[in-house]
Amino acid sequence: MMAGVSILERLNGPRPERWPAFSSPVRSTALTARIGRVLGICFGICFVTGMLSYYQYAPWSWLPEPASPVWLYRFTQGLHVATGTATIPLLLVKLWSVYPNLFRWPAVRSLKHAAERLSVFVLISTALVQLTTGYLNTLNWYPWPWDFVSVHRFLAYVLIGSILLHIGLKLPDIKYGLAAELATADVLTEIPWSENPLAHSNAGDVPPPPTPALSRRGVLVAGAAGIGAVVVTSVGQTLTPLEPIGLLAVRQWTKGPQGVPVNKTADQAGIIAEASSGDWRLHVVGRNPYVLTLADLDELAQAEAQLPVTCVEGWSVGADWRGIPLLEVVRRAGGDASSRVRVVSLEQGLYGNSVVVGPQVSAALLATHLNGERLNLDHGYPLRLISPNRPGVLNTKWLSSVEVT
Amino acid sequence: MRAWRISLATAGILLGLYGVFRLLTNVGFVELLVLAAWLIGAVVIHDGILSPAVVAVGWFLARTVRPRARRYLQGFLVVGGLMTVIAVPLMLRKDTQPVSKAMLLQSYGANLTLLLALAAALSLLLYAIRVARRTTA
Repeated sequence: MMAGVSILERLNGPRPERWPAFSSPVRSTALTARIGRVLGICFGICFVTGMLSYYQYAPWSWLPEPASPVWLYRFTQGLHVATGTATIPLLLVKLWSVYPNLFRWPAVRSLKHAAERLSVFVLISTALVQLTTGYLNTLNWYPWPWDFVSVHRFLAYVLIGSILLHIGLKLPDIKYGLAAELATADVLTEIPWSENPLAHSNAGDVPPPPTPALSRRGVLVAGAAGIGAVVVTSVGQTLTPLEPIGLLAVRQWTKGPQGVPVNKTADQAGIIAEASSGDWRLHVVGRNPYVLTLADLDELAQAEAQLPVTCVEGWSVGADWRGIPLLEVVRRAGGDASSRVRVVSLEQGLYGNSVVVGPQVSAALLATHLNGERLNLDHGYPLRLISPNRPGVLNTKWLSSVEVT
Repeated sequence: MRAWRISLATAGILLGLYGVFRLLTNVGFVELLVLAAWLIGAVVIHDGILSPAVVAVGWFLARTVRPRARRYLQGFLVVGGLMTVIAVPLMLRKDTQPVSKAMLLQSYGANLTLLLALAAALSLLLYAIRVARRTTA
């Protein structure tokens, strides 16, 4: 207890001699508030679209995912990854604009002030880690021991919570910053604007701070240009017409087999021998169980659909599919549109099966052809699920059985 | 405003605590330790290395380049720096995945060089226009 008090006293005492000091007329609460507003919106978009994506993996039985619009998940997840990627440079600009605050003295004025600074630490650390690990996930890069999917969700709660807390704490500064004119607003100084008698807001008509080199507007313009360049050169992986200028795009759909990238190859799934065997059978389990052979597929696969493939990692591309309507298979087994259908892959493991319920049962295909050709082995030959508004990993490939209940 | 501030802060604290609770109950001890190291490391790298480096560059430019030219140089450095942050992980991960995944197949180093050259050319052009205007005016 004594030690705690003395540390607090020291952090609240006279300024150390060699403590850093900044004079940066470009930095201003007016600038930070403008950047922060966009940053808050971006994190909000990421949170909402991210939670929608998590819902895809475990929907409540009374609220199944819709089957239309077919591009819904493509839109929300493309937006999630594009916004998250753009938020990395945006966050860096925002943090740059408030960096001198790290060195404000007294470092800790009270326990309340200590708690506030701790909340800022939580905010910055979760924001940096969330964006970094999210981006690395789109590169299939996992230099950490934890499960990305669940930790990304739990950290999102912490991050969005600390953003709400931060907005609550900073609301007077946000109101002041957004109301102040960018060029003339108070310079960010050691003393918060509200306590500074020399600040514009308190001293009346003070001449605007000179910014001889890059102005505050210049920071916004350059920041927007850099972020815009990142977005335009990376979003081609989901906004497919922009692929030719996708210099910083992770995926290139034109380089995928049959015009569509895959996320797990047949080799990675370890099913090459079984899937390419002539003895392959689809076992349909239900009230009236039956078996389909390769020859049966050729006869039954007459339906066509135009559906996008969307990956949780943010890439997507539209494609033409041919196959057997799932509902047809379900009905022959004694089920109907309200059945719960589990499709099972030759592949073992977490995504070796998935469940189709609700409107998607009537809209999905068991596909044999992609873009006019027989499915490539990497795309799920001989038979795969393709459903509208559904993440790629849940469009199970290399099917071995369908269970209708 | 007071009601707003209290509601936002309360909602934020509750949501944050829920996230911490889910982390503590669903993630293993070793994983949590590494996650804590990441969270602290991220702030240390940003506040202790990246930001001081940016400040140092700004400090150096302020002493070596005159304001009018510095404005365009700073603009270029902001644009170029932000693009570089996104490009570096791509460069490090290039050609690590099976080809049919159609990912990370580009020469991201060359692509970044091209983007930086474009940004530099644009900044130079804007600077030249500015100089020409001032000279003719």
